[in-house]
Amino acid sequence: MSQQSLTLPATGPGSGAGSAKARRIRRVLELAGAAAIAGTYVFLVLTQPADIANGPASFSALVALGGFFLGAVLLIAAALPVLPTSTLVLMPVALVLNVVLGQLMGSTGLPFYFDAIGTVLIAVLAGPAAGAATGALSSIVWSFFNPTVLPFAAGAALIGFLAGLAARSGLFRRFYLAPVAGFVTGILAGVVSAPIAAFVFGGTAGLGTGALVSAFRAMGDTLLAAITKQALVSDPMDKAIVFAIAAMLVYALPRRTTVQFPFVRRFRVLAGTAPETPEA
Amino acid sequence: MPSTLPPLTSLTAAGCTAVITTAAGTWPLSLAVGLAAAVLAVRAGVGRRVLAAAAAVLLPLGLSLLMLHGLFFPEGRTVLAVWGPARVTAEGLTFALESGTRTGACVMVLLLFSFTVSAPDLVAALAGRGLPPQFGFVLASALTLLPAMAGRLDNIRAAQEARGLVLRGGMLSRLVGVRLQMVPLVLGLIEDSGSRAQALEARGFGGPGPRTSYREVADPPAGRRFRTALLLFAAAAVALRLAASWPVAGPS
Repeated sequence: MSQQSLTLPATGPGSGAGSAKARRIRRVLELAGAAAIAGTYVFLVLTQPADIANGPASFSALVALGGFFLGAVLLIAAALPVLPTSTLVLMPVALVLNVVLGQLMGSTGLPFYFDAIGTVLIAVLAGPAAGAATGALSSIVWSFFNPTVLPFAAGAALIGFLAGLAARSGLFRRFYLAPVAGFVTGILAGVVSAPIAAFVFGGTAGLGTGALVSAFRAMGDTLLAAITKQALVSDPMDKAIVFAIAAMLVYALPRRTTVQFPFVRRFRVLAGTAPETPEA
Repeated sequence: MPSTLPPLTSLTAAGCTAVITTAAGTWPLSLAVGLAAAVLAVRAGVGRRVLAAAAAVLLPLGLSLLMLHGLFFPEGRTVLAVWGPARVTAEGLTFALESGTRTGACVMVLLLFSFTVSAPDLVAALAGRGLPPQFGFVLASALTLLPAMAGRLDNIRAAQEARGLVLRGGMLSRLVGVRLQMVPLVLGLIEDSGSRAQALEARGFGGPGPRTSYREVADPPAGRRFRTALLLFAAAAVALRLAASWPVAGPS
């Protein structure tokens, strides 16, 4: 819709009077996407089957899949057409980093999943909208090799969005603040993703997380409560480490590379990066 | 290896099969769908790859489900065995079987699709249906970048080992090793993407207006009718399931 020309910096508001309507449409799409995700979550929690002994809840699975998928699609539709080419070409890179760095960190034997390093990195360099679109698109592309990540697209979009917000508000300027932002992101993302694990898959994919869920189940929790508690144990820690790794990577990149990104310049995302041209 | 079906038809078929299996939610159907997908994959010549990818996903999930619901299922009433706090119940085992086979069927069907579809055809077909061209670019670019990455990481490791990196020892030295491989990889990829962005911009990638595709994807009308029928069938299955088990009392 509102395409920028070759030379304009990308995400700046007020890049033309003609784009005001397009911006409004985009805002509505974003809000509708967020509302779809939040509404689905609330609906699932309120209507969770009291008795799951009759078999897995196909009803809840369908609602979870449909609602979260709709939310992810709306978020992609809102963000994708306005992203500048320099951000767009980073998205495949983010996906590749999600997969490859996840495997690399897995080789250290730490009991976490680390599947969002690329998403957080892009969010820090290019902003919340790019982060959300990257998270959701990553899940879609990754599902070509592992279809079980597809339902978690909404959670991945949330992680990218929150990472971008953290970067915009300057939490990546201090190295010790990045893991704190990651911790908070992990809480929210874990809670939102728990119904997917509970209702679509009936459990978690890893043996370690499965043991944790078993422990909560042994204390008599419902499946959703047990998986939410497990997510609250694992996800904040995982995301704190992921944010720290992303911060480490961003600061290891040469300044020449990072200041190429308008988002980094405009919001002074990184410590010591003075904007070249002072902006309002 | 390439599928004989047009990409949109196989995408619709895979998606609808997954949705219908989920809506039905009975393990004999799920098992049949999973086996059928396996047979089709073997006949298409991708059986080994599909089964390997499916096993990598499904084995940990299956074991985790079996441990979780097999041993701890507070809702279970038919107790088969008790070991300390763990209770093996028939309901728990059924639940593990049901969710395991349901996920298994969906995974097999979607993997069969993704391993038989030709990515360029799929991207061209999706762009032809009005999806933003950016989506097609991200999809195709990621799918071609991913296999190339293993070789690149090997090169980086070889180069760093030639400079004295030792990938053994305790956690700390391993983390240092990971950092020494990560930073060149990320730096190289981001540099590459910068030059790719300039090349794409120079060819009018970001410009508005319609695109012409050089790739013609055949889409016979029979396939279109088949898709419509499948979508209607899937919608009916979802509607039936939602109507059958709509929560009556609201919040419980």
